[in-house]
Amino acid sequence: MGDTRQRILEATYACVARWGLAKTSVEDAAREAKVSRATVYRTFPGGRDELISAVVAWATLEFFIELYEQVQGAESLEQVMERGIMFAHRSIVEHEVLQRVMQTEPEKLLPTLTFESNRIRQGIAEFLVPYLEQRGVAPGVDLREAADFLARMVLSYMSAPGRWDLDDPAQVAQLVRAELLAGVVAGPGPGDPLPPAPDGPGG
Amino acid sequence: MQTRGNAFQVIVDGAVVDGVVDGAADAVAPGTVPESPRRVRIIDATLDCLARHGTTKTTVDDIARRAGVSRATVYRVFPGGRDEILGAVVDTEMARLFSALGVRLGEAGDLTEALVGGIVEASTRLRDHAALAYLVEHEPEMVLGHLAFDESDRLLVAASHFTAPFLARWMSPKEAERVTEWATRIVLSYAIAPSDRMDLTEPAQTAHLVTTFVLPGIRSLHDAGTPTVIDITPFGSQQAPPDPPALLSSGSARTSRPSPDQHQSCDQHPSTDQHPYEHSTATALSKGAMP
Repeated sequence: MGDTRQRILEATYACVARWGLAKTSVEDAAREAKVSRATVYRTFPGGRDELISAVVAWATLEFFIELYEQVQGAESLEQVMERGIMFAHRSIVEHEVLQRVMQTEPEKLLPTLTFESNRIRQGIAEFLVPYLEQRGVAPGVDLREAADFLARMVLSYMSAPGRWDLDDPAQVAQLVRAELLAGVVAGPGPGDPLPPAPDGPGG
Repeated sequence: MQTRGNAFQVIVDGAVVDGVVDGAADAVAPGTVPESPRRVRIIDATLDCLARHGTTKTTVDDIARRAGVSRATVYRVFPGGRDEILGAVVDTEMARLFSALGVRLGEAGDLTEALVGGIVEASTRLRDHAALAYLVEHEPEMVLGHLAFDESDRLLVAASHFTAPFLARWMSPKEAERVTEWATRIVLSYAIAPSDRMDLTEPAQTAHLVTTFVLPGIRSLHDAGTPTVIDITPFGSQQAPPDPPALLSSGSARTSRPSPDQHQSCDQHPSTDQHPYEHSTATALSKGAMP
């Protein structure tokens, strides 16, 4: 059962990559997965709508599993956030399917993605908690509150860098250590003091 | 979407659209009942319609009826019809939001007050916006497009660009843009996904968030030297300088003078603007001035 579901989702993702969200039908997904339409409907009783939501959720989860693997070996809170933001930013920029769907049919993607981001935010917060515990939070800082705040900021920066160059490790270090963690953690951390800011292209 | 271009033009250029800000264009003869010009009336009528029926079910007829004008009048004011009206609604609401923010930030006596006031003002307006609430509920794709990825980037840059000059009393323009961008992120994050432990329409909770997470970050960002990435002409640089050294915190610990090493840390960073308020920034941001 789990295998069938996985197979259908992978097949649906392949269809979406090829044709986009709007043009992917239950028939396409069934054909690609080499299962019957009935099997697709049995697995996703809500039909096409459920299938599309499920594939967005699945692809999002895949993205964050990969992110998780990237940051897993990090030794400190600073490192986990720096690696995570840089890797996630790069992956989003280079994510062809995401970029194309955002170009052509964002209205189909965004409601599900926004819904998913709530779960993702909780996941990131949970993930950060042990790092925060290990690092030690500043006096008066609530651990859960800090984890939720940081998860929000990580999500915000990874999807929209604003004025920050997230391909530049020195800037990311500054964003994480100077901006985001200054109020959260107790005392200077590994690798502090900060490297001096590099000259940006604008001066 | 054509509405986007218009909306962002308004913010990026910092232009005031004629007659769209609350009451701005009300030319009222003495002794008469104030009446908004037709443009504003049509826009406000559209907002009412959107709050009830969303964009797809709102027609020019509905708007005209609600505004108490004829269809012909609507088309005279907005020859482009529905699409043009919707674009104007976005422009107007953005201009209203930013003018309200300008008032709040302008009134603030110190940086904490400015940040808390600005975040509460923006969060409250977003929460209480009936048309926005309807769209989020029934036509999320209309709203979310502005809040994701590249569009969100444009929104962040535009919003921070517009609000940064109001922080010029306390920091350099470049730092102000960083800070307002950060504040915008915070507002958007909690507006899109409200938190049960942090309500940013509540001044006390917002003050807690600002003093716990944001002010230390601003101070430490200042000490580290703010890098410049996107260099857009800051109209904050034209802001008139304030005389007294500004204070970061509202109450107690007034000023501690910048310590020599803090001066040094400013000087070391080539990307920190040579800004006339550098001294007062260092004063304001010095650790002693923090609660």
